[in-house]
Amino acid sequence: MTGKQLLLKALKDRGVRHIFGYTGGAIMPIFDEMEKLDIFKFVMSRHEQGAAFMAQGMSRASLSTDAPQIGVCMSTSGPGAMNLVTGVADAHMDSVPMMAITGQVATGVIATDAFQESDVVGVMMPISKQTYMPLSAEEIEKTIHEGFYVATTGRGGPILVDIPKDVQNQQVGEDYQFDVKTYRPQLPGYFYTPTPEREPIQRAIELINKSERPVIFCGHGVINSNAGELLQELAEKVNIPVAFTLHGLSAMPADHPLSLGMMGMHGTVEANRVIMEADLLISFGMRFDDRVTGKLSEYAQNADVIHVEIDPSEIDKNVKTSVAINADVYRTLHVLLGDPMLTYQPRRRWWDKIAVFRKVMADDLEMEIEKGLGDDNKLLMKSIIHQLSKLTEGRDLIVPDVGQHQMMAARFYNYQTKNSWFASGGAGTMGCSLPMAIGVKLARPEERVWSISGDGGFQMNAQELGTIMEQKIDLKIIILNNGHLGMVRQWQTFFFDGRYAGTPMQSPDFGLLAKAYGIPHRRVEKLQDVAPALQEAIDHCGAIVLEFICDPSEVILPMVPSGGGFDTMIIKHPRTEAAKNEGEAA
Amino acid sequence: MRKRAILAFMLDRPGVLNKVSLLIRKKMYNVDTLTVCRSRIPGVSRMTITLEEKDEAKVTQVIKQLEKFTEVISAKELDTDHSYWREVAIVKLEVDVAHLDAFHGRYNFEILEQKSEDIHLLQVSGSTRNIDAFLDELGQEHIIEIARTGVTAMEK
Ligand SMILES: Cc1ncc(C[n+]2csc(CCOP(=O)(O)OP(=O)(O)O)c2C)c(N)n1
Repeated sequence: MTGKQLLLKALKDRGVRHIFGYTGGAIMPIFDEMEKLDIFKFVMSRHEQGAAFMAQGMSRASLSTDAPQIGVCMSTSGPGAMNLVTGVADAHMDSVPMMAITGQVATGVIATDAFQESDVVGVMMPISKQTYMPLSAEEIEKTIHEGFYVATTGRGGPILVDIPKDVQNQQVGEDYQFDVKTYRPQLPGYFYTPTPEREPIQRAIELINKSERPVIFCGHGVINSNAGELLQELAEKVNIPVAFTLHGLSAMPADHPLSLGMMGMHGTVEANRVIMEADLLISFGMRFDDRVTGKLSEYAQNADVIHVEIDPSEIDKNVKTSVAINADVYRTLHVLLGDPMLTYQPRRRWWDKIAVFRKVMADDLEMEIEKGLGDDNKLLMKSIIHQLSKLTEGRDLIVPDVGQHQMMAARFYNYQTKNSWFASGGAGTMGCSLPMAIGVKLARPEERVWSISGDGGFQMNAQELGTIMEQKIDLKIIILNNGHLGMVRQWQTFFFDGRYAGTPMQSPDFGLLAKAYGIPHRRVEKLQDVAPALQEAIDHCGAIVLEFICDPSEVILPMVPSGGGFDTMIIKHPRTEAAKNEGEAA
Repeated sequence: MRKRAILAFMLDRPGVLNKVSLLIRKKMYNVDTLTVCRSRIPGVSRMTITLEEKDEAKVTQVIKQLEKFTEVISAKELDTDHSYWREVAIVKLEVDVAHLDAFHGRYNFEILEQKSEDIHLLQVSGSTRNIDAFLDELGQEHIIEIARTGVTAMEK
């Protein structure tokens, strides 16, 4: 057998069915071999970055199904590999397991600046969980299996395998042997501790029982360990509110009475106020990123912190813990739930307070959503998302891009399906939505998938409409077109005296663009047309692009200014604030 | 600022040194010294890194992130009270032999070679501070070239 055959065999043995990628000189032998076999569905992206995000979508969406599939993307050496970088870095930030396989120039010419040679291992090293360059065909199978093991255990992450062209073609020796069933990676330096220890669990239970103002945090680790139901059970059992990180959304129903919604920079008033006043944070599978905490020195100052996290290097990194539980979230929840010492407490004062926090913005938001229109009678994003949520009963899969619309989708869609929200969080990579949604749809073909982008982000990977056309992917594509890079514009409104540097943006005729790819398009400007257009997309079989003309002055609130504490949370548009002050003066 | 020594054992694989140095750069440290050698276990290297940091928590972070590398088997800090830190230096200097006599007994050095009447190659070993003191006392003006190994350390 040859290196390329062993590579494909290993992928097959690992349950891979889809390969996303783009060909080129250094990967041709593998593509050629793939063509001879009829095992994989090959999906050609229109840019390697797209392939990386498709692989991410596959990994993220399938992890909660009966047949999880690790996303695999392939590219040629040099420019092909460099085009994968953004998607790999994004997966690294968001702990998404995936495998990037790149062709490399032949071993004989490595380090001679050969045609299309890049030091891919060198570039990927700081943004991957592990990198490999097998130097003989014998190493390939072992490398792939070890790579999958490392990608999917402990805290997930992307793996790079860079395979020189001659190694792809090399024959293994006569005595080559590899047994998938008995193979165990030899990694004396690789540890992860899924099972929680007894002692910290007991201390955690004591803290929970005696707390008066506790809050549970639901992070990405809850989704990744498929522990949403257990988390909900715990919250109900002890009667403690739950706040979500961006990646924790959809772990349990968004409208659950214990839910406070999202926390952090664009989190809800109730989540952030609760954190400010809490005496205990019980956090599951999260890393206290700065978008979540705001100014660290002012963060949750009166609270003890219980931190359940599989990656020990995240514990005590940003926030000092009182009880550290370095373990898998699912197993920890399982142990906690089985412990009879854990008690229900009414905490009436706390809930009364929370009821007050919930009211701070509720009326304003409801009015805005109801009105649905902003300046010049242009549509409001939050209202569109709200209508989408109603029409789909919160059951569909949502893949946002990055920007205001992302935060609107995080806040105003009523997530009911577990693991139904797939966003670029840690990196915040514009352009991720369209390709990631392709991966999500292929992973969960029976469910409806919405890709929601701004006019800016959509144009970063718009070429993937080609993939959608070719593969006949049934994606519902929404462009919330406000003629601006909205999120940056919002910062300019608040912090740069309304000088809109580099944010107004001219877009092509998205109708013509969609048409060029044979995809129907609807442009919606009027409020009364919003719901019918969404309904048409639901009823339409196949891909469709809905473009909504939105108000560029709409803002997502509240907003905790970058680097500020939660007490600096902005809850009013500066314009309404000014109008109010004027009114008072007059 | 406090000098810290971090001791790590890791698989002797290509790229490990690269990863360690990337991490240290990412954390914005300037490495003082870094030494790598084989350990008693075949295939496992022993690395000693010294850097300056006064914040305990930050050093813990570096150690935890080192341990996160698939190749790193263990890492920990060695503090000066409970471990020996030693270096070796080779010095080429122009000096009277008589001048050197005064140092015998007080420093652990040995003349490797006399290259000419006044030019000597000598080797000195000891703690960093000890070697610094030796060189100062010798007089920097006599020194032509120095090669120092950087710190290697072991727990008492
Ligand atoms: C690749 C990339 N470049 C730049 C940014 C910085 N950025 C964050 S949000 C944003 C604006 C997004 O505008 P748009 O896609 O139109 O969405 P909107 O905010 O209007 O909903 C920009 C430029 C980013 N996150 N990613």
